[in-house]
Amino acid sequence: MSWDTARDDFEAGLKPLWARAQAGDEAAYRESLRRIAARLRSYLRRRMQSLPDELEDLVQETLLALHLQRGTHDPALPVSHWVLAIARHKLVDLWRRRGRQEALHDPLDELDDSAMPAAADEGSARRDLVKLLDALPAAQRQAIVLTKIEGLSVAEAALRTGASESAIKVQVHRGLKRLAQRVRDES
Amino acid sequence: MKTEALIDMLARQAGAAPRALAARRLTPAVAGGLLLGVTAALAWIGPIPAALYAEPGPWIKFAYAGALAAAALWWVARLGRPAAPAAAPARLAAAVVVVVLLLGAASLWAVPDGERLATVLGHSWVTCPLSVLALSLPALAGTLWALRGLAPTQPRCAGLAAGVLAGAVGAFSYALSCVELAPSFVAVWYTAGIAAAGALGAWLGPRLLRW
Repeated sequence: MSWDTARDDFEAGLKPLWARAQAGDEAAYRESLRRIAARLRSYLRRRMQSLPDELEDLVQETLLALHLQRGTHDPALPVSHWVLAIARHKLVDLWRRRGRQEALHDPLDELDDSAMPAAADEGSARRDLVKLLDALPAAQRQAIVLTKIEGLSVAEAALRTGASESAIKVQVHRGLKRLAQRVRDES
Repeated sequence: MKTEALIDMLARQAGAAPRALAARRLTPAVAGGLLLGVTAALAWIGPIPAALYAEPGPWIKFAYAGALAAAALWWVARLGRPAAPAAAPARLAAAVVVVVLLLGAASLWAVPDGERLATVLGHSWVTCPLSVLALSLPALAGTLWALRGLAPTQPRCAGLAAGVLAGAVGAFSYALSCVELAPSFVAVWYTAGIAAAGALGAWLGPRLLRW
């Protein structure tokens, strides 16, 4: 399978799922993120051969960024381009924080992804997001725990906490944003 | 945490993606920046005499600032979205500046030899770029705030585009208070003010647009 075909297959499979996900289909969103995570892992693995321990951390950081920035995807553009532009941005940011300018060169760019070994498992990060979650301000943590871990709807979470629905949504977004910031500061 | 668990968490109750995010961030930023710039120009420097609006001078400035602001707004919106092609709006913004520079140069043909320098310098060439820069600051702050809510992957370029947009807004505001009428003056000193705002934006971009 050529590099272009692999990329086209990824895009073709993802595009309809992603459109449903963006419209609010939770199952489609979960499946999109799974496919994206696998793609990110192979994209980043080739570029992080000197930092293999941090691969899954960066996969997770990128997924968090994708989620927070999902409103910036233009439906007219391929999802894969958007995903990989964000992954590259996160990678460059990591190298910059590591002070490794030479790593910005991309000698492996032309390599076929399918030539790389597939991810054996879904991967576990060294960094524990649950611990970082505990360090969030109480209202943000509570909104995230209720809706995104216990799975309450926004309306149920609003009822449970006495906050308005829009306040819950704002707390979840701010909490995840702060979480992403913590993740970035930590690495 | 397993990546699978993170995916579950992100997807759960995620709802639909926010729509028209760039427009929702940029509209209040630019409108607010323009309002503050215009207010500051009228309050601190004062409006030009109404009779001047019969001359082409002010309208050249409004057309320049308006066209450049539109191109730069398009450019900023593109740079706020990962993988969105930004070359076309950048070229359009450059083309607007080139047209004005050519127009300014051409207008000097009609000026007698000995008066060209005096025409270009006018009587306010020192304050003009500084005023444009100062009046662009609210729009610059607003546009950088808007970009922080988007996802610029080229922070320096995004900062430059934000600065050019803010500079155009500042130029528009200053045109309400500026009595210089020569197209060559506008071409040189307005452009200098906008370029200064662009440089400030490009300097701030990598510092403020990290994510």
